[in-house]
Amino acid sequence: MDPAGIFATSFARDAALVRTRPQQIALALFLVFLLLLPVLFGPRLLAISTLILILSVVTLGLQITTGYAGQINLGQAAFMGVGAYTTGFLATKLGLPFWLTIPLGGCSAAVFGFIFGLSAVRIKGFYLALTTIAAQALFHFFVLNLPWFGGSNGLTLDPATLFGFAFVTDTSIYYLCLAVAALMTYGAYGIVRGRFGRAFVAVRDDDVAAGIMGIDIVATKATAFLVGAFYAGVGGGLWAYFVRFVAVDQFTLFNSIWFIAMIIVGGMGAITGALVGVVVIKCIQEGFVSLGPSVVSQFPSIGGDVVFALMNVFLGSVIAAFLIFEPRGLMHRFDILKRSYRMWPFPY
Amino acid sequence: MQAEAAIRARSGLKGMQPVLTADRLRMSFGGVVALNEVSIEIGRDELIAIIGPNGAGKTSLMNCMSGFYRPQEGRIVFDGEQIVGRSVHHIARSGLARTFQGTHIFPDMTVVENIMIGRHMHMRSSILQAFVHFHWAQKEEMQHREIVEEIIELLEIEAIRHQPVGALGYGLRKRVDLGRALAQEPKILLMDEPMAGMNNEEKEDLARFILDVREARGIPVVLVEHDMGVVMDLADRIYVLDFGKMIATGTPAQIQRDPLVMKAYLGEK
Repeated sequence: MDPAGIFATSFARDAALVRTRPQQIALALFLVFLLLLPVLFGPRLLAISTLILILSVVTLGLQITTGYAGQINLGQAAFMGVGAYTTGFLATKLGLPFWLTIPLGGCSAAVFGFIFGLSAVRIKGFYLALTTIAAQALFHFFVLNLPWFGGSNGLTLDPATLFGFAFVTDTSIYYLCLAVAALMTYGAYGIVRGRFGRAFVAVRDDDVAAGIMGIDIVATKATAFLVGAFYAGVGGGLWAYFVRFVAVDQFTLFNSIWFIAMIIVGGMGAITGALVGVVVIKCIQEGFVSLGPSVVSQFPSIGGDVVFALMNVFLGSVIAAFLIFEPRGLMHRFDILKRSYRMWPFPY
Repeated sequence: MQAEAAIRARSGLKGMQPVLTADRLRMSFGGVVALNEVSIEIGRDELIAIIGPNGAGKTSLMNCMSGFYRPQEGRIVFDGEQIVGRSVHHIARSGLARTFQGTHIFPDMTVVENIMIGRHMHMRSSILQAFVHFHWAQKEEMQHREIVEEIIELLEIEAIRHQPVGALGYGLRKRVDLGRALAQEPKILLMDEPMAGMNNEEKEDLARFILDVREARGIPVVLVEHDMGVVMDLADRIYVLDFGKMIATGTPAQIQRDPLVMKAYLGEK
């Protein structure tokens, strides 16, 4: 709902995402903030911000597969790993530049994800979710046993280079990730507000009605997996250039569940929700990491494992708490607040 | 071919090319015979009603025609194409639209988005074009939005176009459901008990829209309905099912006098 006085005069305006002057200003300020972030923040916060950008790309993919198309995916970390390993392999063994390896990493992850999406031909719902766990196991198995990926030693990458400029510093890799994340976010908005986004939601909400609308349900589910895995692969590619080391234990089932937690917290079925979820969860995680050592030094009796243990307790409780109290996530709460602000002083 | 000609002669549609023909459908669930040698034929500009007591097989017939069920025997020819065994979305894409008993509408989407879903099969942009969302995808979106707006105008739901359908009343939901089917630009429209659970005013509105659809768009309509008043007023021709058998067909006046129909509905004397 638009605030009073805003009228769309064309269908394009009516479908626009940024609709009011304050929204334009807010978006511009946010982009300026992102551009100036390396100047404003110290190295640790900058590294966290880069990580948030990378995870945002991966979570956007999961938002499309799970939030929009309703296909629970417990293999997003594996898809990310496929992207990371493909990028690492192409960069180290074939010496391809990053602007080729990252999209190719996305494509190989997309193919991997598409295979799991195809299992939607025969199974759906809970059982499909279980087969995506197999993606984790298969990924682990293939990486350790195929000869090209360095086995358990992992792959070490050279920095990404563009026209002789190497993305070595934290600031430069931040900007690389920012550019890719911005592009992928724009693309995600494009996908979900067009015919594919509507088909995803249709398949999620009512597959009988979706079929009678001429939507091929299996193809749509497989496409959702394809797109989601592509995003994961691109995120994996960025990860490879950010850490410059790819190892199999960076992409575990545990990470997949964190991604699920991010979209639950942010709000299923909202692109902005995925971004919000990543920021919130990552900030709290980093809070634990920062606070942990000081807590341990104060109370040595509780031992050094407490940070990791607390993180797990937090993961479990945040998922449970959100599913009970705020099942549609923070974005839904924000929408309600926005609506009542615009309606004020009327209740509805 | 001969059988088809025979059915045509029986149902009084001589010379007219039917848009949908079901020929001796047979379908049973275990021991229950839902459809027994049911044949039906719908002409290019007809409003057909299918009536019958509960459990007569009306919805089974609908489900066979739209591809949800696969009859064990018999064939269905739609627009010159045999469709038994085809997938639901394939049949929908070849021009068969259907509304459901109750509503199968997407509650989280707005009215516009719901009707845009009906345009899905006519849209061509690829996932890459959607990703770029500039020029092709956006232009296509706006073209189809224009068609959707025409339907919104026809159904008089302009004021609620941006409301989520889940928040609407039942009568309006049914109207959106009809709009979504119209957006498919179907060659035939099947409606399964559109009037069930409506008050008189809502029924009158919907009846008016069904007549509008048929006159303005020339779409043949098949109506499964319990409300005899509606059926007798709207339908050109009526088929009567009882225990899976087609017991009568004819104009509303003929059906009202038919002894078999009276027996099925009122019992024997």
